[in-house]
Amino acid sequence: MQPVIEMKNVTKSYRGVPAVKNVDFTLRKGEIHALLGENGAGKSTLTKIMAGVVEATSGEMLHNGKTVSFESPFEALQNGIAMVFQETSLVPSLTVAQNIYLGEEKFLNRLRGIYIAAQQFLQSLNFTVDPTATVATLGAAKRQMVEIARAVHHKADVIIFDEPTATLTPEEKRHFFALMRRLQKSGVSIVFISHALEEALNHADRITILRDGELVESGPAAEFDRDAVVRAMVGRTLSGEIYNRRRTASDLRKRGKQILSVRDVSMGSMVRNNSFSIFEGQITGIFGLVGSGRTETFKIISGIYKRDFLRGGEVVFEGKPVRYVVPVHAVRDGIIYVTEDRKLEGFFETMSIAENFYSGALAAGLTTSKVVSYAEMHEIAAGWSKRLDVKAINDNARVVELSGGNQQKVVIGKGLAQRPRLVIFDEPTRGVDVGAIAEIHRFINQLADDGLAVVVISSYLPEVMNLSDRILVCRQGRVVEEISPVEATEEMIMFAAVH
Amino acid sequence: MTFLDPILDLFRGKAVTIPPMDGALKPNTALDEAEVVVAALAPDNIVRRGDDLLYSSGPEIRHIAPKTVVASYGADITALAVSDDGKLAVALDDGTVTVDGREIDGFTCPTALAIHGGALFVCNGSDQVKPSAWASDLMHRNRSGSVWRVDLASGQRTKLAGGLGFANGLAIDEANSRIVVSESWRHRLVAIPMAGGRAVDVLPRLPAYPSRITPAEDGYLLCLFAPLNRLVEFVLQEDAYRLDMMREMDSQYWIAPSLSPASSFLEPLQNGGVVSMGVFKPWSPSRSYGLVARLDRSFQPIASYHSRANGRFHGMTSAIAHEGAIIATSKGGNHIIRIAAAEGTS
Repeated sequence: MQPVIEMKNVTKSYRGVPAVKNVDFTLRKGEIHALLGENGAGKSTLTKIMAGVVEATSGEMLHNGKTVSFESPFEALQNGIAMVFQETSLVPSLTVAQNIYLGEEKFLNRLRGIYIAAQQFLQSLNFTVDPTATVATLGAAKRQMVEIARAVHHKADVIIFDEPTATLTPEEKRHFFALMRRLQKSGVSIVFISHALEEALNHADRITILRDGELVESGPAAEFDRDAVVRAMVGRTLSGEIYNRRRTASDLRKRGKQILSVRDVSMGSMVRNNSFSIFEGQITGIFGLVGSGRTETFKIISGIYKRDFLRGGEVVFEGKPVRYVVPVHAVRDGIIYVTEDRKLEGFFETMSIAENFYSGALAAGLTTSKVVSYAEMHEIAAGWSKRLDVKAINDNARVVELSGGNQQKVVIGKGLAQRPRLVIFDEPTRGVDVGAIAEIHRFINQLADDGLAVVVISSYLPEVMNLSDRILVCRQGRVVEEISPVEATEEMIMFAAVH
Repeated sequence: MTFLDPILDLFRGKAVTIPPMDGALKPNTALDEAEVVVAALAPDNIVRRGDDLLYSSGPEIRHIAPKTVVASYGADITALAVSDDGKLAVALDDGTVTVDGREIDGFTCPTALAIHGGALFVCNGSDQVKPSAWASDLMHRNRSGSVWRVDLASGQRTKLAGGLGFANGLAIDEANSRIVVSESWRHRLVAIPMAGGRAVDVLPRLPAYPSRITPAEDGYLLCLFAPLNRLVEFVLQEDAYRLDMMREMDSQYWIAPSLSPASSFLEPLQNGGVVSMGVFKPWSPSRSYGLVARLDRSFQPIASYHSRANGRFHGMTSAIAHEGAIIATSKGGNHIIRIAAAEGTS
């Protein structure tokens, strides 16, 4: 059978540094093809070449047997190749329906007609998104759904998904994979990038693995298992190290002093009478589905959001009731929040690694000089880069140029430069490759061993179960269960999160 | 904003917050799974005299085994204490306190006793009510509790601290020359210097009303006789409603903490609920609960034993370490139980 897309010996270099080296890749008609690799392995670059976002430096790409070279994503779309990006490319000020039909406007448009059509279309995809809602008001998961809907709407014969499920709930993921199967049956070929290896193993027909820009392995998914994939991705077996640890009661850290007590904290309908405690020297894992109020609760604690003015409950940090007006007050008290949306809230992407680390110290008022000292900046940066093993040419490299894993390390280092006593990690390994996950996990464990109070909010159950010393499960705006990792099973945690 | 909150609270109302039961106080069903030692009517204070365990039940002092009456009094017994040399101190609901039959007067609400260094230490819960009217003291928001030292040789009484919200248990912390007292209505343990003085927090923000504290091998045992309940806390803030309620209703129907789980159809919320993760959860916070906590030497909780909303052994008022286990009285559950030390949450 003739491949829909065939790439031969494709190379793409940025300033002479190859991101993709001599890669051969084939996508067959009607197949689901998973593209795996660590961050910086070249997956996104390879798919961007397919979708016309970037041009290959050398090599050849065939589409339905014809040599093509797309100059823009629009040209690729006209040829039937659509890409759903990791960072959504929707227009925030337009409605969901307007975004789906963007570029297809007529001279005179009847908005009601667009809404009805969009409603029917979204329902056919099983996506519960209001077509009249402005995109700016939607959460990350809903935006992702709109992005997927837009790609499907363009009736592309090749759809490329870059981490499509990172922000979806388990229920939404099921819908998404059912949708992928439906598209596959209608003859659409799908490429999807994912860091959740189970998704690739369970849903893909074929798997291609890249490492350091080169193709390592490609073959039917049935020939792979989790360890084989991880071995190919990182050249070593990390899977067991990260997620298959058997935990006994003696493995868990003993609880230290109670550092934070949250009592009946409420914020609108998102956080409702939420009460729990956090202890020093322990990792408290927080699990909950999207909308369970877990992120919002911890944003209240760290001064990013405000709890209700009337009867909003109480936050007691180190025995003292606190109500932070701005995050810097929380930072100065020793609370840091490492965001789940690192690109938007985590770092200054056009600034250097050193400047980012230094900004953390500045926010906490921990710099020794009253004016910006470059010597101090580089001293702080050198220390944290070494401790976190940030892989970059030097500290002057801009953060935007780093891989996801290294960007996340910068976000963590920027927070830890503030010498916190309570560290809140929100999805610390989202969009991070397996190698970096292991390093980040080791670092989080080290923080707890050093006596800090650590909170890890995660949607990934194995992460919560393997990292936490106690697990709190959130549902409908409050903590509903506390489960010991020794007795916890994925089913038990999920049951508590849903029922 | 924090410094403005007390002022703003005058206008917007103070938030009713209940500390969470987590960490060392994470709920379990250890009390309900405990072995029953003896069924008794409202067993209250348990003490050791020599090798015997004695407990108070109504107006009587009884042996645990054999089940015999040791002594009987004219009013319900509210507290017991035994000195190292075997002297027995008894407090009654009418305010009488006796040490080996010698009466010491001047107390209205003796709730806990201890004999140490030739002196008797007395928790006087309130100046206003008898011990059995503790719910009334709470709903009147009295803060008239006090701790006294009575020299057993001279009979001289010394007030060590006053203004307490129902002093309801005490332990002598000899190493730190202080007395640690349960202050029930402020949901905390406070420390008072042995010679008297200002009370300072030792264990604040408890999620339940603390009562008696007993020394154990590696620390102390603390009984908490009823849970903090959001509805009760709310009623305590609503003065007009509270005063009307106390004036017009029989005290057994007040919205107030309780020692025993209600079985009345008038309280369907405490009896109704859902089972989640195999655990019964009431639709509303219950008015009664069973909770015994193990504290370390610095009075911080290290483990706890619970009887949840649907449990039997509520209203725990006294516990003692005995032969590697904990013997505890469930005044609300009408039983004395034996808890294996390995049970519970730690």
